[in-house]
Amino acid sequence: MFHFISKRLKHSLVLLFLASLVCFTLVVSAPGNVAVLIAELRGAVATPGYVDQVAEEIGLHKPLLMRYVDWLGDAVQGDFGISYRTGQAVNADLSKRILVTGMLIAGGGVIATLISLILGFLGAFWPYRLPDRASRGLALIGASTPTFFVGALMIYAFSVSFRIFPSFGFEGPESWVLPWLTVAVLPAAVLSRVVRVGLEDAMSSPFVLTAKSKGLGRTAILLREALPNITPIFINALGTQVGLMTATAIIVEPLFAWQGLGDYFLAGVRFRDFMVVQACLLLFLSFFIVVNLVVDLAVMLTDPRIRRQWS
Amino acid sequence: MSVNRRTFLQGTAGAIGLAMAQGALSKIVYAQDAAGTLRVAIAKPAGNLDPQSHYAIWAIQDLMFEPLVRYGKGGQIEPCLATGWEIEDGGKTLHLTLRQGVTFHDGTKFDATACKWNLERWMGLEQFSWMNCSKQFQSLEVIDDYNVAVHFKEQPLALMQELTYTRPVRFLSPKSVDADGKFKDPVGTGPWVQLSADDTQSVFEHYDGYWGDKPTYERLEAKVIPDARSRVAALRAGQIDLVGGFWIAPLTAEEGKQLESDESVNVVVDPGNVTLVMAFNPDRAEALKDQQVRKAVSIAIDRAAISKVLYHGYAKPAGNIFSGALPYAGTQYDAPARDAAAASALLEKAGWTGSPIRMKDGKPLTLELVVSPDAVPGSRVIAEVIQAELKEIGIDLVVRSVDHASKHTDMLEQKYDLGFFLTYGAPYDPFGSIVALCLSTFHNDVEGKLVTDAVNLDPLINAAMVASGDQIQPAIQKVYDWLRDNDAIAPLVYVPSIWAHSKRVQGFASPITEYDMPYENIVLAS
Repeated sequence: MFHFISKRLKHSLVLLFLASLVCFTLVVSAPGNVAVLIAELRGAVATPGYVDQVAEEIGLHKPLLMRYVDWLGDAVQGDFGISYRTGQAVNADLSKRILVTGMLIAGGGVIATLISLILGFLGAFWPYRLPDRASRGLALIGASTPTFFVGALMIYAFSVSFRIFPSFGFEGPESWVLPWLTVAVLPAAVLSRVVRVGLEDAMSSPFVLTAKSKGLGRTAILLREALPNITPIFINALGTQVGLMTATAIIVEPLFAWQGLGDYFLAGVRFRDFMVVQACLLLFLSFFIVVNLVVDLAVMLTDPRIRRQWS
Repeated sequence: MSVNRRTFLQGTAGAIGLAMAQGALSKIVYAQDAAGTLRVAIAKPAGNLDPQSHYAIWAIQDLMFEPLVRYGKGGQIEPCLATGWEIEDGGKTLHLTLRQGVTFHDGTKFDATACKWNLERWMGLEQFSWMNCSKQFQSLEVIDDYNVAVHFKEQPLALMQELTYTRPVRFLSPKSVDADGKFKDPVGTGPWVQLSADDTQSVFEHYDGYWGDKPTYERLEAKVIPDARSRVAALRAGQIDLVGGFWIAPLTAEEGKQLESDESVNVVVDPGNVTLVMAFNPDRAEALKDQQVRKAVSIAIDRAAISKVLYHGYAKPAGNIFSGALPYAGTQYDAPARDAAAASALLEKAGWTGSPIRMKDGKPLTLELVVSPDAVPGSRVIAEVIQAELKEIGIDLVVRSVDHASKHTDMLEQKYDLGFFLTYGAPYDPFGSIVALCLSTFHNDVEGKLVTDAVNLDPLINAAMVASGDQIQPAIQKVYDWLRDNDAIAPLVYVPSIWAHSKRVQGFASPITEYDMPYENIVLAS
C-alpha cells in the first residue's frame, strides 16, 4: 500500500506543477491591466505614472518566467502573497473561506449520497415499475437542469414562497439546507443511476442465485449482497462528483452569499487578482488530486481483488 | 489490525456523522430578532473605512463620517459640522465656523484642532490633487476653538461642493490612528457606530451622543449579498428591508419591475442625476471625424424606446449631458426623437452610400461599440438595440462586451469607436465629469475620455473653471453648447435611481446623491 501511495503522490506533484504553469499562463494572458484597477482602488484617480509605479510594485515589469518562479518559490513555502484587490494576505482569506467551501461540499456530498442510494434502491427494488420510472425521471431532470436554475428555484420555493429556509447567509443549519440541496442535485442524479444500474448488474450475478436458494428475500439480497458489491464503482463515481462540486461552488456560493473559495475565485477572476486566482486554482486542483487519491485507497479497501493486487 | 470492507464502511459513516453533528451543534446561531433593526443589502464587504482611502463603499462611510457641509437638494449647500462659512479674498480664503457640542464616537471633542488635524491629512497632498481645494491649498489657520481659516493659492473651483464629498473630506477621530498616523478604527461624529464588520456583514448601532436628529431605530445591519438575484429574493423573503443604490447594491429596471408586482415590497424610483452618454472616438474611427456621421448615429437611436422598454419607463431620454436636477446643468433640451430618414440622408450627404451596409472609398461603414455590463448594468442589451437601429440606416455596428478589467484598459487606451460613459452625478457634477472626462490636459483618470478637443473645447472648460459667481453659468453653458453644436457626444438616458424596501420600512426617500445611505427619514413599523 505504501508503494501505491508514494507512486500516486509523485504523480500528483508533477500534475500540480504542470497545472500551476497552465494556470499562470492563462491568468497572465487574460486582457486587462490589473495595475490600473489597483491604482483606481487606492485613489479616486490614477495618473499613468502612478499606474506604472503600481505595476513596478507588484512586479508586472518583471519577465514572465521570473514572476512565475517568484510566485512558485513563495507558494511552496505556503505563502500565496497579498491580494491585489483587498490588500489582505491571501493565506488569511483562504483559511477563513476554506471552511465554508468544505461545509458546502461535505454537506452536498452526504445529501447526494443519501438521495442517490434511496432513488437507486427504489428503482432496483421495483425494476421497470412506477418507482423505477419516477426515479429515472427525477435523475434525468436533475442531471439536465443547470445549477444556477436549481438554486433560483430552491430560493423561490423555500425562501420566498414558503419562507422555511433563509435565502442567503451562513448562520446556522437552516441556512445550510438550500445550498446543500442545490449543490447535491446534479451529483445525486448521476449517482442514482450508478446505484440503479450497478444493483441491476449485481442482481444478475451467480451469488444472487445462491442467496435466493438459501431463502433470502429480495430486500435482504439487495442490501446485504448486491449493495456492498457496487461500493467500489459508487465510490469512484462519488469521487468524480465531489471533485466537480468545486466548480459548482463557484456558482452556488455567490448565489447564497457564502463567502467561500468559489466566491473568492470568482471575485479574483473579475479583478485579474493573479494571487487569488492562482491560489484558488491550486487549492481546487490539490483537492481534486487528494479526492482521487482517497477514492483509490477507498476502492482498494472495499474491493478485495484490487487489495490483493497491491498487497 | 486488518481493515476489511465492513470496518472501513462503518468507520467512514461514523466519522462523517460525527463531523456533521459537531458542525451543526457548534454553528447553531438563531436569526436575530429584526425589531428595531434596518437590514440593508450591500453588494460587497464594506472594506477599509479610512476616510482617506478609496476601498470602502461610500454609503457605509457616510453612516459614520460627516463632512463640514452637506449636499442638499438641487445642489444646495447645507450646514453639517460647519455652521457657517464665508469665502473671502476673491475666493482664496475660506472662513469656517465649526459646530459646537459635537463629539466623536470615542468621546473626543470636535473642535478647530480636530478639524485642522483632519484637513491636513489630505489637503495639499499630491495624492489628492484631483480635488481643486487640495491642489490649490496653501495653509490652514486656527483662529480659535471653533473658527478656522483655509488659505488657497488660487480660488478653487466648486470649493463648497468638494467639501461635501464622502472622501477624503470627512472627519475621523484624531485618536483613531496608530503611532504612525495610520487609520485604526472607523470613529467619526456621525449617527452610527460600527459594532462589527466582516466579509458577511457590517453591524452598526446608533450613536447616543449624536448632535443631530437620531435615527428612530437602534441598529443597522449591512448584509453582503453579491448576487443581484439573491438580493431580490432576500427582500421578497423578508430577510432584508432595503436594497438599491448604484454603488451600494444596484437594482436593474427589470428587477424593479419584477418587485413592483410583489405586494410585500415598495419600489421607489428617482429620476437620478447620472447620465448614460455615448462617446465617439474619431481618433480610431475615421468615419466619426465627420460631424454628419456622428449626428446620424445620434438621431438613429430611439432613446424613448430604450427608456420605455429597456428601463421599463423608469429612465428619461436625455438631450443633455446633465439632467436639470444638477446645479449649473445649463439649458435643458429635449432628447432628439429617432429619425431614420434624416439619419440616412446625412450619411448619403457624407458620401456613405449603398445597401445593406454603406460604403465609402471601398470601405464599409463598420463601427465597434465596446460595452461592459459590469460597469454599466444592462449596457449589453442597450448596445444590441442600437446595433439593430443602426443597421436600418446602413451602419454595421459590432458590439464587443468586455469585463471590468478589460473595460478600464480599453477605454483608457481608446480601443473603441463608440463607448458608453456614465457621468459621476451629484455631488461631483457638473465640474467633475466635465474636467475629468472632457479636458484633454487632465490625464489622471482611469475611465478614459468622453471627448477631447485641445483647440476648441479646452479653452471653454478652462474659462468655466476660473469663473466665479454669476459668471459660472454662462461660462459652462458655452461648454454644453459646443458639445451640442458639434454632436461631439450622444447623451442617451438619465439613469434612474431604483430602490426597493419592505413594508416595515416607512418614510423612505431616495438619497440626494448615489454616494449616501438613505437612513435618515426611515421609521420601522413593528
